[in-house]
Amino acid sequence: MEFLAEHSLSLQLFVFLITALVIAFSPFNEKQSRITALIGSFIFLFIALLQYFKLFDSSNTAMQLVESIPWIGGINFALGVDGLAFSMVLLMAILMPCVIIASKPIAQKQKPRLYYSLLLFLALAVSAVFMAKDIFVFFLAWELELVPMYFLIAIWGSKNRNYASMKFLLYTFAAGACLLVGLFTLLAYTGFASFDMQELAGIAQALSVPVQTLLFVLISVCFIIKLPSVPFHTWLPDAHVEAPTPISMILAGILLKMGCYGLIRFATEFFPTILENMAPAIAILGAVNIVFGAYTALIQTDFKKIIAYSSISHMGFILLGLAGLNTAGYSGAAFQMFSHGLISAALFMIVGMIYERSHTRELEDFGGLAKVMPRTFFIFKLAAMANLGLPGLSGFVGESLVFYGAFTSAYTGAGLNAIKISTVVSSVSLVLTAAYMLWTNQRVFYGEIHEKNHVLTDARKSEVLVLAVLLGLAILYGVYPNFINSLYEPQLDSLLKTF
Amino acid sequence: MTNVENAWLIALYPLLSAVLIMFFTHKSRKISMGISIAAVAIGFIHSLLLFFNFHGHEAYEANFNWIKAGDFHLEIGLLVDQLGIGMLLTVTLVSLLVQIYTHGYMDEDKGYTRFYSYLSLFTFSMLGLVISTNLFQMYFFWELVGVCSFLLIGFWWHKPSAAHACKKAFVTNRVGDAGFLIGLIMLYAFTKDFWSVDIATMSFTKIQEAINFAIANNGLEVVGLVSVTTIGILIFMGAMAKSAQFPLHIWLPDAMEGPTPISALIHAATMVAAGVYLMVRVFPICEITGSGALSFIAWIGGITAIFAATIALTQNDIKKALAYSTCSQLGYMIMSVGLGAPYIAMFHLITHAMFKAMLFLGSGSVILGCHHEQDMREMGGLRKYMPITAITFLIGTLSISGMPFFSGFWSKDMIIAKAYEVSPALFWIGTITALLTAFYMFRIYFKTFEGEYRGHAHPHEQPLAVTAPLMVLAIPSVILGLWGSPLMDYPLLKYFNHHFHAHGTGLSFFIHELTQPMGYLPFLAFVFGNLGAYLIYVKGITMQDKAVNVYVKEKFVPLYEGSVNKWYIDEAYEFVISLCMSFFRITWKFFERVVIEGIVINGLAWRGSEFVGEVLKLTQSGKVQSYILIMFLGLIVSVLIFMV
Repeated sequence: MEFLAEHSLSLQLFVFLITALVIAFSPFNEKQSRITALIGSFIFLFIALLQYFKLFDSSNTAMQLVESIPWIGGINFALGVDGLAFSMVLLMAILMPCVIIASKPIAQKQKPRLYYSLLLFLALAVSAVFMAKDIFVFFLAWELELVPMYFLIAIWGSKNRNYASMKFLLYTFAAGACLLVGLFTLLAYTGFASFDMQELAGIAQALSVPVQTLLFVLISVCFIIKLPSVPFHTWLPDAHVEAPTPISMILAGILLKMGCYGLIRFATEFFPTILENMAPAIAILGAVNIVFGAYTALIQTDFKKIIAYSSISHMGFILLGLAGLNTAGYSGAAFQMFSHGLISAALFMIVGMIYERSHTRELEDFGGLAKVMPRTFFIFKLAAMANLGLPGLSGFVGESLVFYGAFTSAYTGAGLNAIKISTVVSSVSLVLTAAYMLWTNQRVFYGEIHEKNHVLTDARKSEVLVLAVLLGLAILYGVYPNFINSLYEPQLDSLLKTF
Repeated sequence: MTNVENAWLIALYPLLSAVLIMFFTHKSRKISMGISIAAVAIGFIHSLLLFFNFHGHEAYEANFNWIKAGDFHLEIGLLVDQLGIGMLLTVTLVSLLVQIYTHGYMDEDKGYTRFYSYLSLFTFSMLGLVISTNLFQMYFFWELVGVCSFLLIGFWWHKPSAAHACKKAFVTNRVGDAGFLIGLIMLYAFTKDFWSVDIATMSFTKIQEAINFAIANNGLEVVGLVSVTTIGILIFMGAMAKSAQFPLHIWLPDAMEGPTPISALIHAATMVAAGVYLMVRVFPICEITGSGALSFIAWIGGITAIFAATIALTQNDIKKALAYSTCSQLGYMIMSVGLGAPYIAMFHLITHAMFKAMLFLGSGSVILGCHHEQDMREMGGLRKYMPITAITFLIGTLSISGMPFFSGFWSKDMIIAKAYEVSPALFWIGTITALLTAFYMFRIYFKTFEGEYRGHAHPHEQPLAVTAPLMVLAIPSVILGLWGSPLMDYPLLKYFNHHFHAHGTGLSFFIHELTQPMGYLPFLAFVFGNLGAYLIYVKGITMQDKAVNVYVKEKFVPLYEGSVNKWYIDEAYEFVISLCMSFFRITWKFFERVVIEGIVINGLAWRGSEFVGEVLKLTQSGKVQSYILIMFLGLIVSVLIFMV
């Protein structure tokens, strides 16, 4: 027990690694691989819950659960989480079993063992990004994530998968290159004195303003490509449309959050002065994302693209929240990260379920599906409401905090009104989001049913279970957001005292 | 159990009922109906006990922290005061009667239990809204009632018109909600320093103090455009959408696609009145000296009242005509708030809830009796077949038209009298609207219940489950108004507002009032409107050998067509929306497909993908192990790159 408490983070990573290797080198069939992967993800979840209830102290604003093993040179294999990182680990723990259960139809098609081991490698890399305390571990994990993701889209994707996976690879690679140059320059300037992220942050703040600006731009470009933000967003709709359902779930659910996390961790902790100067620009970028994403979703005719553009729109709230430079804005952004993880995963799952049955995603092929898929209809309505930010569901909490945070931004320069106007403009998304979600709902489920759609079957038990978990949590955190908010609120509050 | 501290249970019972029906008892009709009705019946009794036991001049308030982020904090809680109790009673009573009625109305529907679960969910949301302690919590439930309305309008999802109407209702409401949310964020930002940790943010009991505090500290103009006027108008936008005020009224008539019980409960008596309730609660923000919000509110209300009445004149669908009448009456209430008389607005809200719910339920009874026919041209003479429905409908008609001593007379005339004091223009608008109201309401009554039956069905009276709620609602439709009248010294208005002050009281004052323009003009409006409808639709008087209505139709074509086509507001919206959609398409295509994709990316991506495609062909033939090997090789390479 004590061992577990001291090494919980590395144990979590280890579980994913071992499970991935076991599946890869075993003679398992699809079902056995899936169950093995599920066991691994449940152990991860179990440790995460143990951390949530016992090991992790949210009132402590420092890094916790720290482990550090000397590695190569001055580099340590150092792990640790603060409130924000831990909330992401928790999200990972919740999503992984859901994704694995949803993987059945995809993995059955071909190469199940490869599929599950790649999926677990992906989870390993992404978890390591959130757990990393050492900048080298962070970068390594960041780059490592790319490999399994590329193969997962390129092998199991639909028609245009080569184009989409290549695009994903190029964009992410460009992002990684920016990050590499940025981090390397940072390390060069600091004389390779330390690789520890917290120590580096202190050193980085002391650098001269032009250097800080250069580093800020390099590093931020990496993260906003991953977020993704306009104008670097076009890889996302393609990747989503071509990716198989569970991969879309994990992509929207947690991969995008790496960008948000990076922005908060690096842009805020390393270069607070630059961030402060950039706040109006960030707010405008956020508003552009929110509004552009929402109205683009409105004119799409591909069911999955609508949800993909909706993701872009919702990620804009994170930028807008950051521009607040205050606890409300940051907490809103962090809450939005968590809540979007649950809701978008659920939405992509529903889209995937309908696609798997009807082999089409074009909205005009649907209509009246409520007749043959009443359960799915009920669940989609709930998910749509969560996505459009209905109070009582988690989407609302993040959005309202972000609106308030951005409107009362701690920024004091001449651009303050730009931030306020961006906030007011962003509120247009309340209308647009409702319009595209409900219009989609109308075109898919309402009205008379097409002749050929009479054969579609309703959601299976396993699918209902996954969606019930995701949306049940969306309700729980929507009704009482403090379950999540209290994890990172003290830490963000102390972080933002500097502004 | 019936203490004031437990008043939140009133809202909780229907929530439990909704959850129970949705997940457990939906197979059994009887149990589901029983649970749903019992939940709201208990709530009604509880509200009655509150009414008799709660006499404090201070509101009872309890707050719990909902979320906190730095100095930002929001609470959810329970507020009980006379205003809230009045609303609780209205909502639970109407909801109870509508739920009983539903048993008769939806008996043959496959979605019977689903309907009850939605009704319970709505009742919960509406009661949650009523007991809200602060603006934020009200916004919370405000959206929830909106979503229940969405679910219930689209209840018959297979009907394309219903599918369209429910989306339209929700999106239109969202326009108002966006304004509401921004307004309350501005209000919070504006009064931020007042809400220290132990004061619930934006609580209604403290809102006046907070505004005064902020004005004393910051002055009226906060930043640029944000002033108390902006805040007031933005919050009012929420009310405009929910209470179907011009120009956001477009969703309400379409909402009649939903089953009739919800037209009565949600789209006539309770939810649409929530906007008025909101404005009464936030009245202190609007009445601040220097704020222009009140006159804006008054004019929007006045315009809506007369605008909707002109449309109601020519509608042939009985529910649509009643819907425009609701719009118009809500306009009166909003106007009353704008005129500085929020408590009179509450008075009209409550009387209107009674007679309008009854009118809608009556129209539902007629529709059932005529085998789902809603067109009044296919009705007529129904009094013979459906006597109970006809009598109650007549009572409702008299009440809404302003028959002296009926409920609607007192509340409506009080608003018109208030307008007489404050703004002559609005007084005339109110009076003309009263004339139109009397005319179109009697038109509906005469066309439906008098003359000869013109349809092809076999009309019949409805079972007791349908007629009993009508009879019960007939009682308050007649006598409730007396309770707010000068004859009894305004007990209802004094109940809501301890400082209520009237110019006079008693019978002699009432008679004196009647001799003034503000007294006799509305009365004359009632008489002439009534008489006009009688002459045209019952006596069938002619003008140049044509029935008067036909004559008018032919002589004043633009006016008639305008009224029938709702003054082309929907068409205008559709035009604007199609413009927006084209703009969205063009900018998206240009920005994404041309600029980013075409010029920057595609050159790169296609070449790259051809190359990698070749590589993939090699690798895809391999075994699992080789992939894993490649991954680790990649890892090692990236480590090496970093080290070098």
